[in-house]
Amino acid sequence: MVTFTFLDWLWLSLFLVLMVVCGALFYRLGKRSEADFFLAGRGLPWWLPASSVYATHTATDTPMWVSGVIYRYGLSGLWYTFFSAWCAISAFVSTRIFRRSVAYTQAEWNTLRFGGLGAEMLRGWLAGWQVFMNMFILGWVGIAMGKICHMAFGWPTWIGLTVFSSICAVYVLSAGYWGVVMADFQQGVIALFVIIVVSVWGVIAAGGASGIVSKLAAMGQSWRLNPFAFTGWFDGHFPVAWFLTMLFIALLGGFGMGTSIDWYPEAQRIQSARTVRDASYCIWWGSLLVVVRNSIWAVAILGFFVMFPGMTQTADYELAWFRIGFEYLPAGMVGFFFAAIIAIHLSTVSTHLNLGAAYATRDIFQHYIKPGSSERTLVWVGRVATFILLIGSFFYGLMMEELTEWLIFALWLMSAGIWLPNILQVVWWRFNAWGYLAAWISNLGLSWLVVWILPEFGILPHLKDFQQFWLLMLLGALIYIPVTFLTRPENMDHLVKYYVMSRPIGWWGPVRREAERRGLLQKVKEIT
Amino acid sequence: MKFIKRKWTAGEADEWTKEDWIAIVISPLAYIFIMVGVALSFLLLWYGFLILAAGVVLTVVMHWVINPKLKSISDRYELHQKEYIRELEESVRWEDR
Repeated sequence: MVTFTFLDWLWLSLFLVLMVVCGALFYRLGKRSEADFFLAGRGLPWWLPASSVYATHTATDTPMWVSGVIYRYGLSGLWYTFFSAWCAISAFVSTRIFRRSVAYTQAEWNTLRFGGLGAEMLRGWLAGWQVFMNMFILGWVGIAMGKICHMAFGWPTWIGLTVFSSICAVYVLSAGYWGVVMADFQQGVIALFVIIVVSVWGVIAAGGASGIVSKLAAMGQSWRLNPFAFTGWFDGHFPVAWFLTMLFIALLGGFGMGTSIDWYPEAQRIQSARTVRDASYCIWWGSLLVVVRNSIWAVAILGFFVMFPGMTQTADYELAWFRIGFEYLPAGMVGFFFAAIIAIHLSTVSTHLNLGAAYATRDIFQHYIKPGSSERTLVWVGRVATFILLIGSFFYGLMMEELTEWLIFALWLMSAGIWLPNILQVVWWRFNAWGYLAAWISNLGLSWLVVWILPEFGILPHLKDFQQFWLLMLLGALIYIPVTFLTRPENMDHLVKYYVMSRPIGWWGPVRREAERRGLLQKVKEIT
Repeated sequence: MKFIKRKWTAGEADEWTKEDWIAIVISPLAYIFIMVGVALSFLLLWYGFLILAAGVVLTVVMHWVINPKLKSISDRYELHQKEYIRELEESVRWEDR
């Protein structure tokens, strides 16, 4: 249990007031239009959405997860966190293409890339899925906050789940994305500062950097200092095959859209950047900060390991970084640490409240229910959707213990079988809406078969994650590639319009030639 | 003609060229070097500082290569952006058409 002094309460109160007031100050900008409420008017310099990328992906459960893999695997555990590196390539490929489309959301992009009934079905499906996913993520991070408050103060978990998300909702409801991004900036700065301070404190507590290195050597655990401590080609906790699969997924995923669950919030940041260049840099630098943050955390967790080796319960060592902060910081600083935890929490909550509302407003209400709505109406619908997401997340959070396993499986559904189609939709002109829909539908069935049903009946062995990935990718392709070729290509007028606007990378030869024939593009030879 | 093109006309910048591919290759390498370099430097291991320095150099090179092109793409695209947004809003308000 943590005891707060007067100074601790002061830090915490000042921070909460500062954050809510700063966010709510942008009320007048946020209410101007739908574009302001969800994209800050598409006018942000790169460093603002970059800080939002970083802040959003620093959630309350992130230090737990990083602590877990580093405590178990040493610095090679960093590769478990390297999935965020899809942004390294996306910043110069899919980010550029998506920014040029001016779509509000990924669901809207589907109707620009594809046409007809298939595109409408995709938009409806993706919008509904994203409203659900954002509510689920809010419940997930909310219950993590509830557990931290229970550990630190002994509060019932529902208090941590509801109180801080409700405070956050004040500025999201009033100022929309303007409030989100402005609050994210200050939260990002505070969170990074505290992550560095607490981690340095942890390293000092463990005997300093050289102390950690020498103690690990004395324990016979020096392999933990090697980020490339492979355990074999296919066996052990860190096989080469897993490493290569991870690099393949993470890096090539940058050519597609939606190859990572993080794409959806990033897409909002991409569209809020004022130029294509700002969009690229916001993704690149925001994700670099995520990568650097993980490294700083990793060393602090190594320090925790030399102080508390031999922990076997995941629930114990996953709290390593929080324990360093609560147990080793001096009195008066613990409140500052807790304020930073709240900053970490609220930056994630605010993003998903606004993002889920964007899908509900733009892709469901405006597109299907009332297309002729005024800007004022759309902003109010955005606020109502935000409020519903908030309340829904409380219910999800309270049910999360029972649902976690199923929902992790739902996340898995989104990744393996859809990974390649998410790239093909960007790089291959012939891939059509029916092929993409077939990929989604087949993936639902195949995932159940490969992960649960066939191993249960002994028809298929229990495969490792990376083996499941390759198998699902192959089986899915056997369905959606024939479907693509057996159905018509997208309408050429629609494709030409999309191509001229977005200038996608990859196999777009027929569309490009048609655009040139119509005089919409100059031939390459003429301009070089 | 220089290997790395640093002056772009509007039409040229819209094409996918070797400068894009250089950025695409260097960018993840920079991430890897910086991630590993920061962790090992924090542990005050000498080779950590070397790896981190290599990551910083890669980052600078990547920006030197791609920044002029991105700037040119942005300048050209902004001339059309208002028109694209207007078309998008018209398509969203499909009942009015």
